[in-house]
Amino acid sequence: MRHRAIPFVALIVALLASGTHAQSLSGEYKLGVLEPLTGPLAFEGKRHLEGLEIVRDMINERGGVMGKKLTFALADATDPTVAASEANRLITREGVKIIIGTFSSRLCGAASEVAARHNVIYWETSCVDPRFNKRGLKTVYRTEIDATGFGWYNVEFIAKHLAPRFNLKPNQIKIAFLSEDSSYGQGVTESARLRAKQEFGMQELAAEYYNWTTINDMTPIVLKLKQLNPDIVHHIGFGNDAVLFWRQSKEQNFLFKALVHAGATGYGGSDFGKALGNDANGVFALLEPGPGFRLEALKPEGQKIEREFREAVQKRTGSYPLGGHQLAGPGLWILKLVLDRAGTDDPDKFNAAVMSLDLPVGSSMNGWGVKFSETGQNANERVQHYMLQWQNSQLVTVWPEEFTTARAKWIPLGAWDQRK
Amino acid sequence: MDPARRLGPAQIDAVAQLGVSTVLLGGIYALIAVGLTLIFGIMRVVNFAHGEFLMLGMYLAFWSFTLWGVDPYFILFVAIPLFFMVGLVTYVLVMKGVITASHNVQIFTTFGLSILLQNVALVSWSGDFRFVRPWHLSVALRVGGTTFNLSQVVAFVISVVLTVALFAFMKFTHTGRVMRATAQDRDAATLMGIDTDRVYRLTFAIGIAAVGAAGVLVAPLYSVYPTAGLQFVLLSYVVVVLGGLGDMAGALIGSLIVAAVEVAGSYVFGIAWKEIFYFLLFILVLVFRPAGLFGQRGSETLGA
Amino acid sequence: MIGLPRHTGAIVLFGGAALVPLVIRDAFFLDSLVLILLWGALSAAWNVAGGYAGQVSIGHASFFGIGAYAGALMVTRFSKSPWLGMILGVVVSIGAGLVIGFLSNRLKGPYFALSTIALSQVLLIAVSRWRGFTAGGEGIPVPYRPGFATLGLGHVAWVYMALAVAIIYYGVEVYLEHSRIGYQLAGVREDEDAAEALGIATRRLKVIAVTVSAALTSVCGTLWAQYVGFVDPAYVFSVDLSVRFALNTIIGGIGTALGPYLGSILITVLETYLRATFAGMKAGFTGIYLVIYGAALILVVRWAPEGLTGIAARLRARWAAGARGARAHA
Repeated sequence: MRHRAIPFVALIVALLASGTHAQSLSGEYKLGVLEPLTGPLAFEGKRHLEGLEIVRDMINERGGVMGKKLTFALADATDPTVAASEANRLITREGVKIIIGTFSSRLCGAASEVAARHNVIYWETSCVDPRFNKRGLKTVYRTEIDATGFGWYNVEFIAKHLAPRFNLKPNQIKIAFLSEDSSYGQGVTESARLRAKQEFGMQELAAEYYNWTTINDMTPIVLKLKQLNPDIVHHIGFGNDAVLFWRQSKEQNFLFKALVHAGATGYGGSDFGKALGNDANGVFALLEPGPGFRLEALKPEGQKIEREFREAVQKRTGSYPLGGHQLAGPGLWILKLVLDRAGTDDPDKFNAAVMSLDLPVGSSMNGWGVKFSETGQNANERVQHYMLQWQNSQLVTVWPEEFTTARAKWIPLGAWDQRK
Repeated sequence: MDPARRLGPAQIDAVAQLGVSTVLLGGIYALIAVGLTLIFGIMRVVNFAHGEFLMLGMYLAFWSFTLWGVDPYFILFVAIPLFFMVGLVTYVLVMKGVITASHNVQIFTTFGLSILLQNVALVSWSGDFRFVRPWHLSVALRVGGTTFNLSQVVAFVISVVLTVALFAFMKFTHTGRVMRATAQDRDAATLMGIDTDRVYRLTFAIGIAAVGAAGVLVAPLYSVYPTAGLQFVLLSYVVVVLGGLGDMAGALIGSLIVAAVEVAGSYVFGIAWKEIFYFLLFILVLVFRPAGLFGQRGSETLGA
Repeated sequence: MIGLPRHTGAIVLFGGAALVPLVIRDAFFLDSLVLILLWGALSAAWNVAGGYAGQVSIGHASFFGIGAYAGALMVTRFSKSPWLGMILGVVVSIGAGLVIGFLSNRLKGPYFALSTIALSQVLLIAVSRWRGFTAGGEGIPVPYRPGFATLGLGHVAWVYMALAVAIIYYGVEVYLEHSRIGYQLAGVREDEDAAEALGIATRRLKVIAVTVSAALTSVCGTLWAQYVGFVDPAYVFSVDLSVRFALNTIIGGIGTALGPYLGSILITVLETYLRATFAGMKAGFTGIYLVIYGAALILVVRWAPEGLTGIAARLRARWAAGARGARAHA
């Protein structure tokens, strides 16, 4: 029990010291990439990484960043402790000055704290925790809007686009809220509830949360909602819970006028269409643009890179860019624009470049514009979100109408077997 | 509780529907738990990796359906012997050495197995959520005011058949009696000339065959992904404890009780509290009647 | 080799850790060291209940989470010092510890272990739903404010903070090994009925052991929250964490004072190293390190159930036999 510690100390030193890598070669610029590649979020982390790699190649074809070839130092963030630890490793061992990531709110919070403490830039592309930019951290930026923005857009859609088509005034709408209970679902749902009630006076019939990993039967909640008889079901699902709810609603013949969701998971994921085929018809999901997106609505530069991006994703994955691709890829693109402008990764000059960037909606490959607030958050109005609808096993872009060629169908949703 | 609810035809229909949900769900839980109760009851081993064998069963159904178009219910004929062998191999490689070890060693061995299996699945098949969509998944049968999903009904029926078959095996065959004797008193069984190693081997293999079969059956009903076993593993433990160690009838009834608590609790109080109900039930049973509702009183301290 | 003073291992380990920040300034190294010490201390806390008292719990995350939330809430909701939160966390954890202690007197072995899991999951769900108070599933970001009262420390200071806690917990374990109460606990652990027949207050002792273990775990939970900066209910109450504390101890040597720390070193270093090595590969292969980890776990637990302590004892016995043999033949 005594001398055994000595070989251990030697072991630790050897193992940890061996992790030291050489600093970037001249001619290469290394960017830290932090994504969940194992664990329950791995399926999204993988898509993010794909989007990032494709845009990295696009960037390198155009001369890289700051005249150097862009390369990634990859790190896997499975939980908050690991996220912080890996952020640390990227900074001290890989020597990166910028970290891009991270998809999940529980990961981005811890990792960005570490980055800020080391005065390293943290560039977030998709976590939506509303508190992210409110912590007073200087080097933290986010290109995606936060969850409150999702809720805001959803209610906008319901009040301005759906209600008139139901011949109802917004304050006559009866709405039921259902959601998975992670920070994502809670963030979107709470902001939607607030706006629905305060700004439009909608009648809230129910607000229920559940754990998306353990729910295996939605019949009780379907029955309960059926008795409450809402016009709109605002359901934020994350995975199979969306499929379960929709399928069991059909089985129980639960009828309502529309279901609205937000985000690239659950109803907004390709798995939903794969699981239900044409039965998925009619569901609305707030997302990055999909087919039906009117490319002419993009600015010329936007159109060019949109096509390149879309074709590259198609070639690599066989599908139209999914939410994960559309968040990570354009996020990296905007980072490139900033670096082009700043010419350096020095935090102060970087910050100046970020603040000076002002691009209208339609500039990026997913239709986003850019205008950052002082807290490092890209403005809601620039991060144009779109409402997509499942039509014949595809998510089609239907709103806002100036950006789309397709139109929403089945308003209100009729009987279950009549949505062809 | 919803003030708008009165006892009218709609409410009666709802209750009937909830009853149907309970029964269908309960049957599935039973098959998952039956394997666990056998292993737990006879070998006194807490098998943390139980959910992972379920997950492997789901993947078996997925790949056979996707690659060769075979319906899960036909794959079952292959799955049962296949998982039986998997159980044998796992026993010999992993479990055998830890039967007589302390509880924590058993717990951690099986936990290590669980991590191993989860991540082998992740590395081999990626973390994407997969689906098995046979034709019967979209068929809904309506009887009176209630709806049954055909896939769920078939899964339920097959689960019950397999559980009853196992029950009969345990009660009426010589081997079954030998296994039960070993469960009651390991040392006495050895003294009587019973080859306990063979009993354990058989028990574990049967237990894994049962849970693998359950995986195949439930694959159409849930998503298939590497950590899919997690949702069921804790739940199956609640069922097993409720029903009593090694008691198969208890497992069936325990499943119904857990399913009922879940369904009723979700309906009345909201689905947010679903898991809390059966965990609280679990703790209450553990405190007041740890042998389970049907087990022998005091048996929870036997063989510890 | 045999004649070394009793705590040489600890002196080397902790002394080494104390010297490291003077020589190495690399932030990642220091971060890993802080984690090794913290996980080690948490495992030592678990060891009090699981190793010395024989009450194997897989639900210690309950206490960890309580400590983490107490600290985080005290800071974010009440704008007070996290140290105050630490005290509150200890109080609540003692309450939870009493519940577990009560259960330990009613249940044995796997049943007890399962009940501890159930408690941690009930807490997880309750905290996730109580959105009004705990921010529910969203978790709580813990702000970093430099200063000792706010536990906003630099990397080097964190190393010494974690080291202090680790040494104190080591001291508690050593005390248990050599005190009267420790001998009584050993009796409870080995054969509870015999101990009771001898007049030892077994029930009370078990409750004390579990409660102390809970309090110690809670303290580290508060520290961890301040260190990592984000409290997420699905993580701080997770079964994975509970297992980690027990795992480190078992691999290092359950029921020994240095075991938890040795286990923590091995596991944490292995994990960090594997993760760093495999992260660069294609996304699909990043699960490999967990596969290795799972396999390693099975092998160690199966072939060396007394952990590293057992291995070393066997090696030492062989050396001693060899030395004696050499002397005899000389």
